[in-house]
Amino acid sequence: MKTSVVSKEYQNLQKEIAGIQEKWKNRLKPEWITTKLDKASLESGIPVLALTSFNVNIPLFLQCIEEIIELLEKYNGNLSDQLSSLKSGLNDVVAEYWVEEALSLNTLYFSGFAHENHLDEWLPQFIAETAIRPYLQLTAEMVQDQVQYGKPGVGCPVCGEPVRLAQLEEDGKKILHCPRCLCHWNASRLTCSHCGNSNHEKIQFLTIDEDPASQIQVCEECKGYTKIIDTRQYITKPIASLLDLSTIHLDFIAQENGYMAIGEKKESN
Amino acid sequence: MTEYVKYVDVTKCDGCRACMVACKNWNDLPAEQTEFLGSVQSHKKTTADTWNVLQYIEHDNAKGNLEYLFRHSSCFHCTDAACEKVCPEHAISYTKYGTVVVDQDKCVGCGYCVNNCPFEIIALKEYKDKNGKEYRKAHKCTMCTDRLDEGLQPACVTTCHTGAMEFGNKTDMLKKAEQRVNEIKSRFPNANIYNPQGVGGTHTVYVLAERPSVYGLPENPKVPTSAVLWKDYAQPIGKMMLGATTMAVVGAYISNKIFNKEGKGHDEDGGGSHE
Repeated sequence: MKTSVVSKEYQNLQKEIAGIQEKWKNRLKPEWITTKLDKASLESGIPVLALTSFNVNIPLFLQCIEEIIELLEKYNGNLSDQLSSLKSGLNDVVAEYWVEEALSLNTLYFSGFAHENHLDEWLPQFIAETAIRPYLQLTAEMVQDQVQYGKPGVGCPVCGEPVRLAQLEEDGKKILHCPRCLCHWNASRLTCSHCGNSNHEKIQFLTIDEDPASQIQVCEECKGYTKIIDTRQYITKPIASLLDLSTIHLDFIAQENGYMAIGEKKESN
Repeated sequence: MTEYVKYVDVTKCDGCRACMVACKNWNDLPAEQTEFLGSVQSHKKTTADTWNVLQYIEHDNAKGNLEYLFRHSSCFHCTDAACEKVCPEHAISYTKYGTVVVDQDKCVGCGYCVNNCPFEIIALKEYKDKNGKEYRKAHKCTMCTDRLDEGLQPACVTTCHTGAMEFGNKTDMLKKAEQRVNEIKSRFPNANIYNPQGVGGTHTVYVLAERPSVYGLPENPKVPTSAVLWKDYAQPIGKMMLGATTMAVVGAYISNKIFNKEGKGHDEDGGGSHE
């Protein structure tokens, strides 16, 4: 029995990244984050992030980036030249741009940056996203008590990341987890998190013989899918980002069977 | 490596037998025809095809009242396992989790493990090969080592709906057991933790409501002296003897070579050795 297709080496890299993020999250001060959260905006599905302003401490942000660069160098020596050139080109002005563009997931900006600096296209955004996550995770922690339910179709109530991962927890409750900001919220066992469909005849479950703790909930209404992991069976519960990674085979299976990470709402007259 | 323990609190067990079903299901074990034992209990003890058995015990407690006691019975995964000690083929070994497993390819079905297990858990199964020749293999609970390898708890633990079984690191589980015994002392004055030190402690630790003997368990199980003598003394001495014998043979060979060389040297000098 082998339940993950991801190499141990890559899982270890991600584990160390999660450790760095946790460390940096603990160094941040809650007063650097201001959220204007109200019930109406939560109910209408506006992500908390859209109502939040960050006072990012740039020198600390740069330190965090340096740690990530060192870690990437440790795991992949082939990146040394690119990482050194990136390190020498980073300054306060670039970092401020990175914060803003990482928060708005501006892929265009980062691919332009990579092109200008002769870097692999994935590298700048990967590092910026990794470094900004401690801020997102602290935001999620601050508002967690107020986020009990999510609105179907709008993704994570905190950062807007599309929903794809749920865990079966105590008493069989289905809890949706965001692998990006680590926020979690309750969901109904037989409801599609993409379109809100609760017609049990249009909700199916795909199971994998060799993977006893996992299932994929698929919706015939919107063709969206959600990975559901029974973490009650786990000896130690991994954090959502690592669980999302180690269950990536479920994404392949769902997508090979015609289901999508973001469901499509059918247009009707 | 974290040392794991399966913690069984028999006072929370309601005898539903889901652990037995989960074990059969996960390990693909066949059903067995059994005879009526005079109670709800399905099997007298564990067998080669039933790796855990739910015990149902009718017990008169100190106040003269009837107690209906349940116990999930399976391999204890002893730290100092007699089955491992006596196995002449090294077919039984410890895993990195401390669990004790049988390598079916190495097992010759001699039955020494069956005779020496202080808890009478391990059992032999008879097979027939394609030529009709009979052979035997030893079987027992593996603590779902294949699941542990993937970070999953044993099947019996995950299915237990009353929370009578838990799986976790040894220190936490022992602490939990101690707290539980303190909690239930007023209801069960004889409550105790069963983690026998005579076998070095076990990787299945129980909170029992009554003394071990009430559950048919040995009060102070020990690795049989014969097993200790065999594994810890006879085998190493045997190996040493083998080493000494080998050294003697090698020494004799070398001195013989030297002797022959000298003889040959005489020949070269023109001396006749045939005389």
